[in-house]
Amino acid sequence: MTSRDLARYRDLLGDDGVEEHAALALAGSEFGVTLRPGDGAALAAVLAQLGADGRSALVLGGGSRVESGNALRGADVLLATDRLTGMIEFEAAEGVCRVAAGTALDELRALVNAAGWEIPLDPPGARTTVGGALAAAAIGPRALCHGLPRRAVLGLEVALASGERTHCGGRVVKNVTGFDMGKLYTGSFGVLGVIESAWLRLHPLPQRRRCFEARVSDPEAALRSGLAASRRNAASVVALRLPAPNAGAPTVCVEFAGDDRSVDRDADWLCSEWRAEEAPADLVDRVRELQAEFPGEGGLRFRIAVLPSRAPALHARLRAAGAETLAYPGLNVVYAGFRLPQHEAEDAASAAFECALRAAAAGGGHAICERAPGWAKAGREMFGDVAAQAGLFAKLKQGFDPQGVLNPGLFAGGL
Amino acid sequence: MSALLPALHSIVGVDACLSSPEELFVYECDGLTLHSGRPLAVVLPRSRDEVQQVVRACREHGVPFVPRGAGTGLSGGALADGGVVIECSRLNRIIEVNAEDRYAIVEPGVVNADLSKATASAGLFYAPDPSSQQVCTIGGNVAENSGGPHTLKYGTTSDHVLALELVLPSGDVVELGSTAGWAAGFDLVGAVVGSEGTLGIVTRATVKLEALPERVETLLAIFPDVVAACHSVGEIIESGLVPAALEIIDQRTIAAVEASVYRAGLPTDAGAVLLVELDGPAVILPDQVARIREIAARAGASRVDIAQDDDERQRMWRARKGAFGAMGRLAPDLYVHDAVVPGSALPEVLAAVCAIGDRYGLTLSNVFHAGDGNLHPNISFDRRDADELARVIAAGGEILQVCVDAGGVITGEHGIGSEKRDFMGLLFSDADLDAMRRLHDAFNPDGLCNPGKVLPTTRFCVESNPKARGYDRVPLDG
Repeated sequence: MTSRDLARYRDLLGDDGVEEHAALALAGSEFGVTLRPGDGAALAAVLAQLGADGRSALVLGGGSRVESGNALRGADVLLATDRLTGMIEFEAAEGVCRVAAGTALDELRALVNAAGWEIPLDPPGARTTVGGALAAAAIGPRALCHGLPRRAVLGLEVALASGERTHCGGRVVKNVTGFDMGKLYTGSFGVLGVIESAWLRLHPLPQRRRCFEARVSDPEAALRSGLAASRRNAASVVALRLPAPNAGAPTVCVEFAGDDRSVDRDADWLCSEWRAEEAPADLVDRVRELQAEFPGEGGLRFRIAVLPSRAPALHARLRAAGAETLAYPGLNVVYAGFRLPQHEAEDAASAAFECALRAAAAGGGHAICERAPGWAKAGREMFGDVAAQAGLFAKLKQGFDPQGVLNPGLFAGGL
Repeated sequence: MSALLPALHSIVGVDACLSSPEELFVYECDGLTLHSGRPLAVVLPRSRDEVQQVVRACREHGVPFVPRGAGTGLSGGALADGGVVIECSRLNRIIEVNAEDRYAIVEPGVVNADLSKATASAGLFYAPDPSSQQVCTIGGNVAENSGGPHTLKYGTTSDHVLALELVLPSGDVVELGSTAGWAAGFDLVGAVVGSEGTLGIVTRATVKLEALPERVETLLAIFPDVVAACHSVGEIIESGLVPAALEIIDQRTIAAVEASVYRAGLPTDAGAVLLVELDGPAVILPDQVARIREIAARAGASRVDIAQDDDERQRMWRARKGAFGAMGRLAPDLYVHDAVVPGSALPEVLAAVCAIGDRYGLTLSNVFHAGDGNLHPNISFDRRDADELARVIAAGGEILQVCVDAGGVITGEHGIGSEKRDFMGLLFSDADLDAMRRLHDAFNPDGLCNPGKVLPTTRFCVESNPKARGYDRVPLDG
């Protein structure tokens, strides 16, 4: 950007809203400028200006998921939401709140917990923001009891690439007024618009939580038991870690939460089924951390949706290909991790992609690659097989962001 | 039309294509009898391929087409004035029930309640339960994102649809979503559910099934007035309890029910009753029942009954589910309104709604999903009385305004349809509506699929132009 360009953005955002910095490598591109709008009006204005200038932006929340998505097609600036922060409205009597998109989930969690509620979003990442979690439809282990992020959203304020500020939904818990735009924006990776704030439906804090951990010898039995555990009334987390063959025994982590009696009843059931041991309360944090780092630096992580009845075969197939897996059985989610050798890494990546996609198809679901080194993204679709919907996806992108201002190339189909 | 009809005959057969005035008469409206319009023809396809061919034939002749389930919609969403109705009642197969993976694949004409009957032996049920569930269809539920009393705990249709097969307005077929629960890319299942048949025609739906609860407890709390009942609902929600259902029936509705075949033994001197349903493991329900009793008593309930067996439970629900039918005794016509307000605003809004009814001299009663803040002010009237009809319409507009002013919205489960499209401006700016139009146009660029629904056709003030709302067609010959 020229100094004249920068001056224009400073006029819109103030000196605090424009930062020049040393080249920062993110999502396969380098950025020397970060724009930081301080409110929704400034966000909309900067989007309009970017469009007028023919420029594009990588939208950045906490940066927890910057490795996700396809290779970025050369954005010009970073557009950070870190000045759009704070609770805007909190109806503690009703369990709903409106929060600015750049607010960290940890900060929001502390606020609502104090009033007896919890946020139905728990993806990994210490810096994860509300907007980032919704844009990526990111889940954590407690999605088993919370549901997917789409269910948490009551309403959104969204700044479109055109610079128009829009809202959809509202603060009430039941609403069919017009099209459900909140569903469309949630999980859209910010390619249709930038979330400015969200109305969220909160959940009552459980009276009690109890955690258990067990080592099991047979992966198939572990999957069956894990599914049974996840269907218990008080199940809030069920995670299975199946290391690569000959790399250790499968581990099962369970959290029950809710009413005292219900938790105790399900805990008794679990202990009679397995030789599970009560675990410290930070067990779920450890599972979340494992999910975030899985399978380790430089590896490939796939998120695969699979029908429960086909999960054992899917795991067997992935493990036979050298993958380790982390599963959330009640959510029909399996993370497959492939470590890539230093030599012939490209061939190994190709084999991993082929294995994950075929295993997902056989499992009645879908695979997306959530984490990959930049070089492994070249020429590959991170969102799996989206050919059947590609036409509709392209029409939507064209309708909302015809100039490609937002996250160019990042989304499914290279949109 | 003269050329289209033979084309439709060749696709679905003469017996599955209705075109005489007497056949078309019953398709002139859906559950919203205030809006009507005669379709050119009604086809009853038996397969996805026939739906696809009908859509292509309509496109070729430039004739609009409108999907229709059982016609129980309450916002005019199935109105097909001058178009072809694609009636899905013959697409009524339950294709698969998978108890292990807890899903079912159904065609759109499957009746809602029939799905739960078909899965009960496997210990499963389909959770969305609109009041019309004995006749309404899954396809219609998908179009309207239908709710029902148990939405409070289980969510609306959108929370239960995993995948859809959709005939696009272009005639192409696309599969959206995934049986396993999520798919990559935009959430097009989420966008299509609740789009009121404007984004295409669902020909197959994969839906989630829930485990039948171990135990159910149903309570009926008797209150001196509806405002006290609302206060108890607010306290229940604030306490962190999540009942399966929280329904309020007001005094006027009680009187209508007790004078009808749906009689349930409700006390006719009660100001309102609150129906509470709790479900879950047997071990936790006694404590929850005690807490509900305590809250209700504190809010002024004179009595709290608990159903002792399934017969008694069914009797309590008969009062709720039969309420709309019972109101047929009050007047020839019933306008079932639908709006949602924040729970904290329920008492004040309900008082304001009743005051509006009184001010216009109307018979207004309330039976509603209190836990969700989803109001159903019901106005009983006679549309042959032009003056009364005008008051019904004016009162309806004021009710919506009161709800919006309280932070609410203009529909919680009935949809916008033709009924409220020109009230959308109460909630949404031009930019908001343009964003919705971008979604609409990605699927349905020329608007041939179910035209005139959801999005407003005008941007000017509805008060100055009542005809913009379609009421010019309202008065029918007595």
